[in-house]
Amino acid sequence: MTEMTVDWQRVDEVIARWAPKGRAGLLPCLEEVQEITGWLSPEVSRRVAAGLKVPLADVFGVITFYSLLYERPVGRVIVRVCDDVSCFVNGSREVVQACRTYLGIEPGETTPDGMFTLETHPCLGRCERAPFLMVNDEEYGPVRGEDVPRILDAWKERVRSE
Amino acid sequence: MAEPVLLRRVGHVDPTRLEDYLAWGGFEALRRALLRRPESIVDEVKASGLVGRGGAAFPTGVKWEAVARESRTPKYVVCNADESEPGTFKDRVLMEGDPFVLVEAMAIAGHAVGAEEGYIYVRGEYIRAYERIKNAVEEATRAGFLGDHILDSDVSFHVHVYRGAGAYVCGEETALFESIEGKRGQPRQKPPFPTTHGLFGRPTVINNVETLANIPPIVLHGPEWFRSLGPEDAPGPKLYSVSGAVNAPGVYEAPMSVTLRELIEEYAGGVRNGGRVQAVLVGGAAGTFLGPKELDVPMSFSGLRKVGAALGSGAVMVIDEQVDMWEVLLRLARFFAHESCGKCYPCQLGTQRQLEIVRRMASGRIRYQDILRLRDIQATMADASICGLGQTAGNAILSGLRVMGLDVS
Ligand SMILES: Cc1cc2nc3c(=O)[nH]c(=O)nc-3n(C[C@H](O)[C@H](O)[C@H](O)COP(=O)(O)O)c2cc1C
Ligand code: SF4
Ligand code: FES
Repeated sequence: MTEMTVDWQRVDEVIARWAPKGRAGLLPCLEEVQEITGWLSPEVSRRVAAGLKVPLADVFGVITFYSLLYERPVGRVIVRVCDDVSCFVNGSREVVQACRTYLGIEPGETTPDGMFTLETHPCLGRCERAPFLMVNDEEYGPVRGEDVPRILDAWKERVRSE
Repeated sequence: MAEPVLLRRVGHVDPTRLEDYLAWGGFEALRRALLRRPESIVDEVKASGLVGRGGAAFPTGVKWEAVARESRTPKYVVCNADESEPGTFKDRVLMEGDPFVLVEAMAIAGHAVGAEEGYIYVRGEYIRAYERIKNAVEEATRAGFLGDHILDSDVSFHVHVYRGAGAYVCGEETALFESIEGKRGQPRQKPPFPTTHGLFGRPTVINNVETLANIPPIVLHGPEWFRSLGPEDAPGPKLYSVSGAVNAPGVYEAPMSVTLRELIEEYAGGVRNGGRVQAVLVGGAAGTFLGPKELDVPMSFSGLRKVGAALGSGAVMVIDEQVDMWEVLLRLARFFAHESCGKCYPCQLGTQRQLEIVRRMASGRIRYQDILRLRDIQATMADASICGLGQTAGNAILSGLRVMGLDVS
């Protein structure tokens, strides 16, 4: 998402709601803002810092510490493949491979059209459904490599129709 | 397998409906607790012998008593729902399937220790659990089980629900406080301990989800009943997350006299394809590998200690003979190198060196010198790291090598 299309009004509403909590509102504020903006750009961070009266450097410090907060643009759809022990034992390598092939990118990268980001992930806490895959808020498991194209096709459709 | 206590309602109630929870005896324990003096509740939790289920196995009643005795206010009750230990998913199953029990337990804890505010910190990737908990808090508040003057008593208790943002170390109690306070989630030097300097520097009870889920049953049925549910030195029920190369992975409730073999063969349906166990990682990434000859160990604190392991979060990850153990060790080494918060050098550097060496060994170059180096790194991290992450970061690697016959002693 480019900076131009950010819905600043909604962003400012979120900031205003958390402002009374001050610093203790920082993490939930950033999480909620990111749901609107997709990632936390310098401009977004400046507004949060000013609204919550937290030094900008500390806001950056927090954003860079947490792996679910993004200081760089990411795709509208984030594909998280668990590659930890129980998922590996159940064939997660095949799922990672299928995602790389389908998306044409490596883990950590975003497709050139800005649609998908691929991540391999430590245990997602759904080991009873290994190998496990999360796409944005949706859960899939157990998945096989051959299920991946169908799942991601559906997401493409979903994003296009939004 | 007896009637479950912790999983009693899971799968049988609609977890979004307060009416269901009430129909299954919900909030009866809170109602009774409010009629009693706080000290008597603390005494009962102490007498039950309940110890924390989050990993450190600290006696819950002792923790509560320390906070109850503090005269400084405000005090806080915090629920650690950050469950991120690899192979552990029991707290998620409880939160998704029976969220109201946490709300009830926290209100009881608040009354017992004299706290009027509680925080639940849910792992960021646990989206459904977060929504269920948030809904439970809202419903309970609307019905007067939370808020000012709970059930017309003089007790007040409010609950805030926070979401983590993808950092394993934030499950460490002081890192979790830092995170709620809007800082980088780096552990604090201890002491001081949370009972005197916890959230916002205040006296704080912090307990794991499963620990808290034991509280309402203890209040309802008493400490003797609770003690009767397990062996002498490990009272109460325990949840085990069993996964990996088994036919029926899942969360199972059992007394802590259960053996590792029983968990794998009777509860989780045995090793897949009729195969054989190569190794079992007990306690998650922070845990220890046991070999096929050690399966008859009782899954209690003392039982596991005798074989040099620890129960930790109760995770059981089964590796069968088809699996390349080097790939498994590589993932564990990568995990710690990635999750080390960088605050102290033994862990920051040690986890990096450990990964380099394991990577080298996994690619086929197995040298005696490297095994000695891994031992050295593990010992240094265990002795000199600030928090449990660094202190345990070498255990799985070294015990894995031992099970593979690359003996390190
Ligand atoms: C690196 C690290 C991660 C931890 N993660 C968790 C966790 O996800 N959930 C949890 O309950 N305890 C976790 N703990 C243990 C907590 O520090 C603390 O002991 C626990 O929340 C206390 O609750 P209990 O006494 O009810 O077990 C972790 C500890 C360390 C060192
Ligand atoms: S042991 Fe590791 S995770 Fe813990 S404080 Fe030190 S660097 Fe951070
Ligand atoms: S190992 Fe993949 S969800 Fe736990």
